[in-house]
Amino acid sequence: MFGIDDPWILLGYALCFISTAIGVIYGIMKWNEEVD
Amino acid sequence: MVNQLYFWAATAVYAVVIFYLAWLGYKKTRSNADYMLAGRNVHPVILGLSYGATFISTSAIVGFGGYAAKLGMGIIWLVMLNISVGVLIAFIVFGKPTRRIGKRLGALTFPDLLGKVYKSNFMQYVTGLIIIVGMPLYSSAVLIGGGRFIEEVLDVPYLWAIIGLTAITAAYVVFGGLVAVMYTDALQGSLMIFGMSAIMIFTLSAVGGFDGFQSLTDMSHLVPAGLASTGMTGWTSFPELGSATWYTLVTTVIMGVGIGVLAQPQLAVRFMTAKDGKSLNRAIPVGAIFILITTGVAYTMGALTNVYFYNNFGKISTQMTGNIDNIVPLFIDTAMPEWLVVMFVLVLLAAAMSTMSSLFHVMGTAAGHDIWVHVRRARFFPSRMRGSDEDASKLRVNKIGTFVMIAASLGLAFIMPGDIIARATAMFMGLCAAAFLPAYTVAVFVKNPSRLGAIASLLTGSIVWAVWTVFVHKAESSVLRLSEILTGSPSVLDFPWTVVDSLFIALPLSIAALIIGTMIERRRSSAPAEA
Repeated sequence: MFGIDDPWILLGYALCFISTAIGVIYGIMKWNEEVD
Repeated sequence: MVNQLYFWAATAVYAVVIFYLAWLGYKKTRSNADYMLAGRNVHPVILGLSYGATFISTSAIVGFGGYAAKLGMGIIWLVMLNISVGVLIAFIVFGKPTRRIGKRLGALTFPDLLGKVYKSNFMQYVTGLIIIVGMPLYSSAVLIGGGRFIEEVLDVPYLWAIIGLTAITAAYVVFGGLVAVMYTDALQGSLMIFGMSAIMIFTLSAVGGFDGFQSLTDMSHLVPAGLASTGMTGWTSFPELGSATWYTLVTTVIMGVGIGVLAQPQLAVRFMTAKDGKSLNRAIPVGAIFILITTGVAYTMGALTNVYFYNNFGKISTQMTGNIDNIVPLFIDTAMPEWLVVMFVLVLLAAAMSTMSSLFHVMGTAAGHDIWVHVRRARFFPSRMRGSDEDASKLRVNKIGTFVMIAASLGLAFIMPGDIIARATAMFMGLCAAAFLPAYTVAVFVKNPSRLGAIASLLTGSIVWAVWTVFVHKAESSVLRLSEILTGSPSVLDFPWTVVDSLFIALPLSIAALIIGTMIERRRSSAPAEA
């Protein structure tokens, strides 16, 4: 994909986007959560 | 060369805004607690941006960007760890208990937190000592990164570049404390997001769009013989498993920095500035997006510089300049439009200043609050040096401590060798993980943590890390030369130990020391009852 053949590099990029998405979704879902 | 008129006009506007925010910080700093923790009432967006801007410095952009140019895109795993460990685990798992316990115990700094949790002044002193000895490595690396960039792009002598950068940052840290640091961080973080986004677009444009990745793959035969012989296979592929380059990339750069971030005092302190757990939740999306954009762009751009330089000059990046710390500045200077070069200079200044200001603040409060305020009570100090416990006195001590540590960082920046930015950063993060991570983890998750276990872990982690760095890990031991002087060899062990990062030896031993110390203490405390 995009000329990058090594699956470890592609996996690294994919996990970057997935981690960010998790962070955004978590923050939105817990936006008003009072419990520490 | 950047257009001087544009640059100084933009810098003037930037400086005015920075000093306005610093003045706001100064006005809001009424007590020692304000100076140390920004009143524990920071807005979530400011917290997220400040955390990210402190986390990501010139080291990440210039130093690790240069590493990506040299070793390729495998470093993208560091971005993944920066987000998943540095933001998600740090905020969700560590951040909330750190904030809650810090507030309950009235802790004002990271060493203060450990000292109060473990009811041990020794923990506080030693943690403070490790910070003031180890952290200048990192703050100087950040300073060097900023100085090199200013030298390359503005043709300002390196000496004046680092003095100027230090003086401006010092002015607002010393007087405005953490409020000024976090306000300016937020501005600098916003600038970094915008600037790095623009740089990604123009980098892709400079290398032929997404086809640039294919071009980079096709350049694998250009990998220098020295790197190919140690396992490098290309710029879009991982090095050979178990090779020297693989060990360096994985154990030092990716794991060392990726894990080390969890126990960094300047980041842990950010959690204690939050008003409540809700604020930490709200800061997470800001922090995650910030890290993705800034480091993701820096490392991708770093690797792609090879395509640009080869297409335009017939050389790969490391052949364009002898110092990998100069690759990203050179690329920006030659490949980007004038306005973006100006923008990038400001981004770099922002990245350097935001991280440096936080490091200066943490080192200063460690020297002042964690060490001097306690040590000065000793009998051998004359009474006029002992000061008082009044808030104003402690505030003055922290300002003086901050000023002294800024001077130390500046001095170290003059004597550190070239190509040091990324390595010094990785060293500091490795030291933090080995020395602090086990004791910090137990402090926030265990109800009755063992003091003996924590002290054993702190001492074992830091001492083993130092010994391995000086006598075994060749990348550092060959520069420090102590091993060679004492034993006649840069490393007392053979491959692969010479390329295994100190963290990978020191952290397991630090954890083992924590467990053994805890068991001994538990046995001691239960012995009288059994008798």
